[in-house]
Amino acid sequence: MKFSAITSTVALAFVIVSSSLASAQSAAPADPTDAGKAVFKRANCVGCHKWHGNGGGGYGGDALSLRKTELDRQHIIETVTCGRPGTGMPYFARGSYDTTKCYEMSRQDVGERMPPEGGTFLRPNDIEAVADYVLAHIKGRGEPTYDECTAFFGNTSRVCDIYKANATQPASEPSK
Amino acid sequence: MRINVRTTLRAVLLASAAFACFNLASPVRAADEMTPERLLNAEKEAGNWLHHHKNYSGTRFSTLKEINKDNVKNLKVAWTMHLGGVEGGGIWSHGGLEGTPIVENGMIYVTDGWGSVYKIDARGGKGQMVWKMDPKTDHDWAGAIACCGVDNRGVALWGNLVVSHTLDGRLIATNKETGQVAWQRQVADPDKGEVITGAPLIVKNMAISGVAGAEYGIRGWIAATDLTTQKEVWRTHTIPAKGEPGSETWKDSNDAAAAGGGSTWVTGTYDPSTDTIIWGVGNPGPDWDNAYRPGDNLYTDSSLALDANTGKIKWHYQHTPNDPYDYDSVAENVLVDVPTPNGQTQKLALEADRNGFAYAIDRTNGKFLWGLPFVKKVTWTKGLDPETGKPIEYDPKNPVQRYNASVTPHRENKIADICPGNMGGKNWPPTSYNPDLKLWYIPVIESCNRITVEEATKDKLKAREFWTGGGPSQPFKITGSVTAIDVTTGKIAGKMETPFPNLGGMLSTPDLVFTGQPSGEVMALDAKTLQKLWEFNTGGGVNAPPVTFSVDGKQYVAILVGLGGAWDKWFIESTPELKKIQPGSMLYVFAL
Ligand code: HEC
Repeated sequence: MKFSAITSTVALAFVIVSSSLASAQSAAPADPTDAGKAVFKRANCVGCHKWHGNGGGGYGGDALSLRKTELDRQHIIETVTCGRPGTGMPYFARGSYDTTKCYEMSRQDVGERMPPEGGTFLRPNDIEAVADYVLAHIKGRGEPTYDECTAFFGNTSRVCDIYKANATQPASEPSK
Repeated sequence: MRINVRTTLRAVLLASAAFACFNLASPVRAADEMTPERLLNAEKEAGNWLHHHKNYSGTRFSTLKEINKDNVKNLKVAWTMHLGGVEGGGIWSHGGLEGTPIVENGMIYVTDGWGSVYKIDARGGKGQMVWKMDPKTDHDWAGAIACCGVDNRGVALWGNLVVSHTLDGRLIATNKETGQVAWQRQVADPDKGEVITGAPLIVKNMAISGVAGAEYGIRGWIAATDLTTQKEVWRTHTIPAKGEPGSETWKDSNDAAAAGGGSTWVTGTYDPSTDTIIWGVGNPGPDWDNAYRPGDNLYTDSSLALDANTGKIKWHYQHTPNDPYDYDSVAENVLVDVPTPNGQTQKLALEADRNGFAYAIDRTNGKFLWGLPFVKKVTWTKGLDPETGKPIEYDPKNPVQRYNASVTPHRENKIADICPGNMGGKNWPPTSYNPDLKLWYIPVIESCNRITVEEATKDKLKAREFWTGGGPSQPFKITGSVTAIDVTTGKIAGKMETPFPNLGGMLSTPDLVFTGQPSGEVMALDAKTLQKLWEFNTGGGVNAPPVTFSVDGKQYVAILVGLGGAWDKWFIESTPELKKIQPGSMLYVFAL
């Protein structure tokens, strides 16, 4: 417990330091949801919902779109804390279904429908931070844009190039 | 003799330890130049492992027998080497090791998942890192569209170059002596959803590259790069353009062929006697909504024979027309000559498919000879037509195939359980063939899984986004086996069941078979009985095939260990015990 408390404080401190460094350089105010963005990466929300939050079908089954979600802050926090029984959405809080019931269920109650355990456990303030990030940058947004993409990845990677104007041709040309 | 001279030269070099002496190394380099002749005659260099699949035929069989069934129980770790590349990127939390080491005159060349190449000196009974070439792969660009892991399956040798791929689509030539990049060329385009995971195949002066991305709406291809000019010689699309032969097997009005999949991410084989490259082709896209793409969807799920000089298609054999299961046929074709009772020789191409059937095709003309299920459970078809090898329910008049309709996923049967599961059967981990015993060893995933279909519509097709028409889930426990087929009879000769699926692949020697388990064990089996004779737990997850080589007259077995790939992200729920296996990156080398 103590150990993870220390690591997340360090992680948080690191995020704050690095974002304030960045803002010092660009002279733009620090985004208060940067800590939540870091959680979105660190807890691998990005692995299922993608950086843009749209999720989508595919090998992993269907991670719902967080852009189209109708959940409010409270329900996003609950979903991340407890996961969603019977689906691939993991729970991210230590003790969910054990020391703290989820959806009024214990591990025994939820049985076979027990959601998977997240790859990292998040503390309540991390979960709030990621929920605030989802609300500020993902929920309600339309098609992903170049600016959103570079805000997520920075611009050292070519990952955002396809969102530049006119660059969204799918696959190869159909015929020669 | 030659080796002695070289060792002395090296001693001189080391003693002087001065870069001024570097030109002294020229004769050494000349001795190690990889030539087309050496590649054709790889079998003559028994102690080396020069090709991805050991030889052009793809047998992964070594004649070395210092380690044999009488003494294999004494096999021990000789040395290990930690490698890198475990970091994540894109949708991946970590990388893994799926590569086949290449060994030439005591030097081992391996890659990690992000495409770093390592040269390791294995002489003197120990391993020493000589150099590492880090291609600085764009993690997010490539990792976001790698369907099935941060993977790289190894290098090839040509001239004084080590030739390799990166996940972000480059072909890279590295100077064998210095580890400096000599040149590189972008072959695949991640902006279109294309990545590369396979090792190149060198044919004459060309590097042949395959592509991954059939889950991302690519139109697959196989491409040849001239290593002397660094220019492309040919690129053959696995899905014909409008008007080309085969285009009539895409009968939709969606232009489905333009994003029809057909990836080629497993290294193929080569028959020099007919100058033919034989290469497996992956699934059509969208994977699970075959009503989006009525027709047979050539050349997906096929083995393709290409003229090596032009890339022109000579023949094809399709295993699962209009595939609704993701049963791709990227697997290697093993080229084997078998005497028939009437004194003739059958020239076979053997392929173990994701769909659970093993096929023998006449590689002179692409005609089906025999096929049989190599997994314990097949539900999607009642069997193969003995004449054509097509699933017996296949009806060419039906634009959309339903096979065994009650278990087949489709728009009116949106949730369906299939056996084998979409991962196979047999996935990329390579088979091995023992030419003395005429036994072919298949690394098997004994599986079923659940497919949920989502109707695909054209507006859902977006660059760099999944294009699968549904997805799998894992409500069933999955195990594995090593299954041996007698290729003279086309019958199963033995099956050794394992608690976990085989995710690494096979190596055979005159009287042994080597393989591993994702739970960490490397093992040696009796080549005839498949009885386990030796086992060592590496403490990591085996996700790569073993090789054997000799140096200083001593035989070694080497294997990369580090669970990555598709399994621990997409399929782990079927093997919950494997959740505790940690990511890792290590080369193990064993000797008596
Ligand atoms: C292993 C894959 C996976 C990971 C990792 C993951 N999710 Fe999910 N998530 C899902 C799936 C699948 C669903 C859909 C569940 C369903 O079908 O109801 C989902 C649903 C959700 C929902 C509910 C959306 C809605 O409208 O109902 C929210 C909110 C959410 N995830 C947020 C997150 C956050 C934040 C993280 C990181 C802390 C995260 N998820 C990590 C797979 C994942």
